[in-house]
Amino acid sequence: MLPTPRLTDARILVVDDERVNVVLLERILEQDGYRNVKSVTDPSEAVALYDQFEPDLVLLDLHMPKLDGFAVMKLLEDRISRDTFLPILILTADIRPEIKRRALSAGAKDFVTKPFDRTEVLLRIQNLLETRFLHLRVRHDAVPEGQAT
Amino acid sequence: MWRRYGDAFYTLLTLAVFGFETIALGGLSLSFLLGGATGIASTPVEGILLGVVISTASALALLGLYLLSYHFVSNLRDRWQIEQLDKWTEWWVGLALTGPGEPVDAGSGRRRLPRVAVDSVLSLLEAVKGEEGDRLKEALAGHGVDHWFLRRARAGHLTARLDAIEGLGKARLPQAFDPLLGLLHHAKPVVRRMSARAAAVTLAVLPPEPGPDSPQARFIQAIKHADLQPGVVQEALLLLETRAGPILRELLADPQLSDSLHWVALETVGRLGLADMADQVAASSDHPDPELRAASFRCLRRLGSVPETAEATLLHAVGDEVDFVRVQAAHAAAFVPAEAALPALEPRLEDASWWVRRAAAASLARLGELGVATVKRAAESHPDKAAREMAVQILLEADELTPAAARLATGVA
Repeated sequence: MLPTPRLTDARILVVDDERVNVVLLERILEQDGYRNVKSVTDPSEAVALYDQFEPDLVLLDLHMPKLDGFAVMKLLEDRISRDTFLPILILTADIRPEIKRRALSAGAKDFVTKPFDRTEVLLRIQNLLETRFLHLRVRHDAVPEGQAT
Repeated sequence: MWRRYGDAFYTLLTLAVFGFETIALGGLSLSFLLGGATGIASTPVEGILLGVVISTASALALLGLYLLSYHFVSNLRDRWQIEQLDKWTEWWVGLALTGPGEPVDAGSGRRRLPRVAVDSVLSLLEAVKGEEGDRLKEALAGHGVDHWFLRRARAGHLTARLDAIEGLGKARLPQAFDPLLGLLHHAKPVVRRMSARAAAVTLAVLPPEPGPDSPQARFIQAIKHADLQPGVVQEALLLLETRAGPILRELLADPQLSDSLHWVALETVGRLGLADMADQVAASSDHPDPELRAASFRCLRRLGSVPETAEATLLHAVGDEVDFVRVQAAHAAAFVPAEAALPALEPRLEDASWWVRRAAAASLARLGELGVATVKRAAESHPDKAAREMAVQILLEADELTPAAARLATGVA
C-alpha cells in the first residue's frame, strides 16, 4: 500500500504575473508548513516548470498578459493524462459566473476570489491536495502487485 | 525610451545610427579642417559650411550620448525600483502574516512612507483580506496614508485626485467610505466614476450592518441620487462581489426606482447569475417600458430559470408588439416546460424579425426531443421559406443536420 504522504510534502506551483501575489502565497504556504513551493511570474514559463517540477497542485491566476490562465490550462491539458487528478486552483478577482464556467470547463477544480482570505486559501488547498493524494492512492492500489511504479 | 519592450534592440539601433552619422560628419569636418589648412576651405562660404557640419556632428554626438545615458540610468532606476518593491513587499507580507509584535526592520513609526512602499501595500491589499488585510490597513492609517489620500482626493490637480481615489479603492479603507460617497456628487464625471468604483470595492469588504444608516443603505441612497451613467452604476454593482445580492434586492424592491437604475439592476442580476432573485426579476416582465421588459427576460435567460408564476407573462411576451422584447422573451422561453413553450414559440418561426425567428428556433431546439422534432418538421415542410431556412440553420448549428441535408432542405445546389 502506498504510504500516505503528508500534505506539507506536496509540490505546489504558483503561476501569477503579480509578484506581490506570488510572494504572499509563498509566505502563506511556507508559514503553514508547505516546503515544496515553486512559482513563476511569467506564464510562458509555467509549462516548462510544470514538466520539471511535476506539481500536485497548481495555483493559477486567470488574468495575465500575453498568456492568460485559460491558455495555460490549455497547454497543461495535453500534459495531464485523463486518469490523473491534478487540481488547478484559480485565483481571480473576476466573480462573473460565465468566467467560472469557462474556467471549470477548461480544467479548473476550484476558485479563490481576490482579495482572498488566508484561512480560506489554505483550506481549499488542503481539500484539493487530500483529494489528489486519495486519487493517487486509489490508482496505486488498483495496479496489480509488482506492476506499480 | 518611451517603450516597454525591445529596449536593448532600440539602444543598439540608436547607437549604430548616431555612431555612423557622427563618424561620417566627424570625418567630413576633419577633411574640411585639413582642407582649410591646405587652402581648400579658404572662402567664407566654406567656413560657414564647416561650422554647420561641426555643430551638427556635435549635436548628434550629444544626442547619442544622452540616449545611451538615459537607457543606462533608467535601467539602473528600474532595477532599483524592483528591488525596493520586492523589499517592501516582503516587509508588508511579513507584517500581514505575522501580525503586530513581530520585529520589523523599517517603516515603523509615523513617518511618511515612500511611494514605492505605498504602491506595494496597495497591490497587496488587492490580494488579501480578513485579519491580514486589516493589519495592513492599520499600518497604512498609522503612517497617515489614509489622510494623505483623502486630502488629495478632495483637492488638488485632477490627476492627483484620480490617483488618490484609485489608491483609496485599492486600500478599501472603511474611513474612506463616506468621503468617497460624497465625491459621487462631484462636478467632474470622471471623479464620480472613480469614486463609485472605489466606494463599491470598499463596501464589498465592510462587515454587513442592518438599519437605515448602514453603509449599504448609504451606498444605495448615494447611487440613487448621484448623476451617474448606467454603465458606471453597473460596474460599481458588479464590484460589490458578495454584497451585490442584498443591494440589488433592495433596489428592485423599490417601487420609486428610476427606470435607468431599474434596468441596471436587472442587467447586473443577470451578469452575476443571482438565480435566487428570479422571482424579483420576473416581476418586471410586464413593465410598461419595453426596455425593462426586455431586460427582465434577458436576465431570466442568463439565470437559466423562469419562475412558474412568470411563465404565462413570458409566453405572452413572445408575441409582444416590440421586436426586441419578443427576441428576449423567445430566448428565455427555452427555460419554460416544452409543452407550454412550444405553442408560443412555433408561430414565431415566421416572425417578421430575423432575430425573433432565430431566438424562437434556438429555444425550440433546446426544449428536448419535442422541440427538436418541431424544428426538424419546420426545416422540412414549413410553408414559410424564412422559417424553413432558420430551422435548417439552427439544426446545422446543433449538429442535428448534415450540410448535405441542409442544402437539400433549402434547395441550394
